[in-house]
Amino acid sequence: MEHIVVVGSGDGGTFTANLLASELGKEIRDGLVSLQLVGEHLEHPFQPGNLDIAFKGAAPRKYLRDESRLLRKGVEFLHDPAALIDFRQRMVSTKGGKILPFDHLVIATGAVADPTIIPGLAQGALNFHTGPEDSSKIWKALQDFKEGTVVVAIASAPHKCPPSPNEAAFMLDEFFRKKGIREKVRIRFLTPYPRAYPAERVSEVVAPMFDEKGIEVTTFFNVDKVDPEHKKITSMEGESFDYDLLIAIPPHHGADVVVRSGIGDSDGYVPTDKGTMKVLGQPGVYAIGDATNIPVSKSGVVAHLQSVVVAHNIVNEARGTHDELAYNGRINCPMEVGAHRAIFVSATYASPPEDQSPSTIKYIEKRSFAMIYWRALNGSLERVFDMFFGPTRFPVEELQEAKTA
Amino acid sequence: MDCRGSFCPGPITELFKAYRSAQLGDVIELWATDPAAKADIAAWAQKSGNELQNVSEEQGYVRILVKVTKKRS
Repeated sequence: MEHIVVVGSGDGGTFTANLLASELGKEIRDGLVSLQLVGEHLEHPFQPGNLDIAFKGAAPRKYLRDESRLLRKGVEFLHDPAALIDFRQRMVSTKGGKILPFDHLVIATGAVADPTIIPGLAQGALNFHTGPEDSSKIWKALQDFKEGTVVVAIASAPHKCPPSPNEAAFMLDEFFRKKGIREKVRIRFLTPYPRAYPAERVSEVVAPMFDEKGIEVTTFFNVDKVDPEHKKITSMEGESFDYDLLIAIPPHHGADVVVRSGIGDSDGYVPTDKGTMKVLGQPGVYAIGDATNIPVSKSGVVAHLQSVVVAHNIVNEARGTHDELAYNGRINCPMEVGAHRAIFVSATYASPPEDQSPSTIKYIEKRSFAMIYWRALNGSLERVFDMFFGPTRFPVEELQEAKTA
Repeated sequence: MDCRGSFCPGPITELFKAYRSAQLGDVIELWATDPAAKADIAAWAQKSGNELQNVSEEQGYVRILVKVTKKRS
């Protein structure tokens, strides 16, 4: 019997397990393949929903579903967090004491937003990256906010969902305008990057909109510390700003199990081939989504597109066929900019993001995705996504041909 | 820091990581293929008061040396 283990039941892990169950259903039923999904949580969040919870007052439970109800038949879900991943012994051990040998492994353990890394940040700032309940604290704080300075700060890079800090600033602006107190509120946006959005062409769209809305941008601001008592945020570069409400995107690192297992880089991200998604030097082992060290957005769309590649390649390995695929670096991150308009930050490894105009159609696309996310996780919408995203993967032979050309 | 093949914000993110753990007087050496890296890092050095020590064009990439001359902690 071939043993497939998927570690992590977020977007990438759940979707990969479902794709494998769909493709290998007969083998699983015949007892030729086992498919185990190891997860820490019984409930599955739609993480982009945190913005709606924080800035539009959506209920924290609106974007949660039972994990077990999202899984296809054939996936054995173990609600028992992974304790150790052992490449040498080719097995995963769980905190509950189970030992899971694997022939094929998918590491989908995500990234951890950790406010405790920067002095004062956990005490002085709210954030929408550590879950729905923490996001709802922002909404509560906004209800009592009458006047003063709101600072949105990116504590350090990389972080999940690159457009989300900009979206937060746009949504704050809209919130205070609707409340009729925008002229009493100063919104500051502090970023470590050289411009309002890291990709230049996107920044050319975002920066003028920030100007127009009176959102003040300070670039090259790497957060060094926060003084909660005096409500002051200071950068490593030596600048300081006072705030009345601080919303900060915490620093991120790889999952504890990756760090504990000694299989990550210095930040706990798994060294991974950016095309095949294979963990470097480990046959039959893949990593996807936020867990990897590859230079691409940490976002659900990326995890989703990489899952398609990885599931295909594992089926390929299990059946001994030879049509391996590679991911082309496609990203497609929506950014809501207020007034029911949005843009999409779209690119591949070979083509950087293009500039574009905000539109209501893009806003509707973004909102529609929130509605179809749960269905998308079982793989039944892949034909629609293939049409929407265009090329996202290619035969690995093309990669080899390009290297030898 | 070898950032070849990584586009914005890759190279400057790697620079910030090194800067966070650097001491005054350290020199950070960064290799990049991203055409924006040179200008972005020069702008950061100027704003933060650190020294852009040297920029050299190598075969297919740019080699950038930044001396850490200012840092809060």
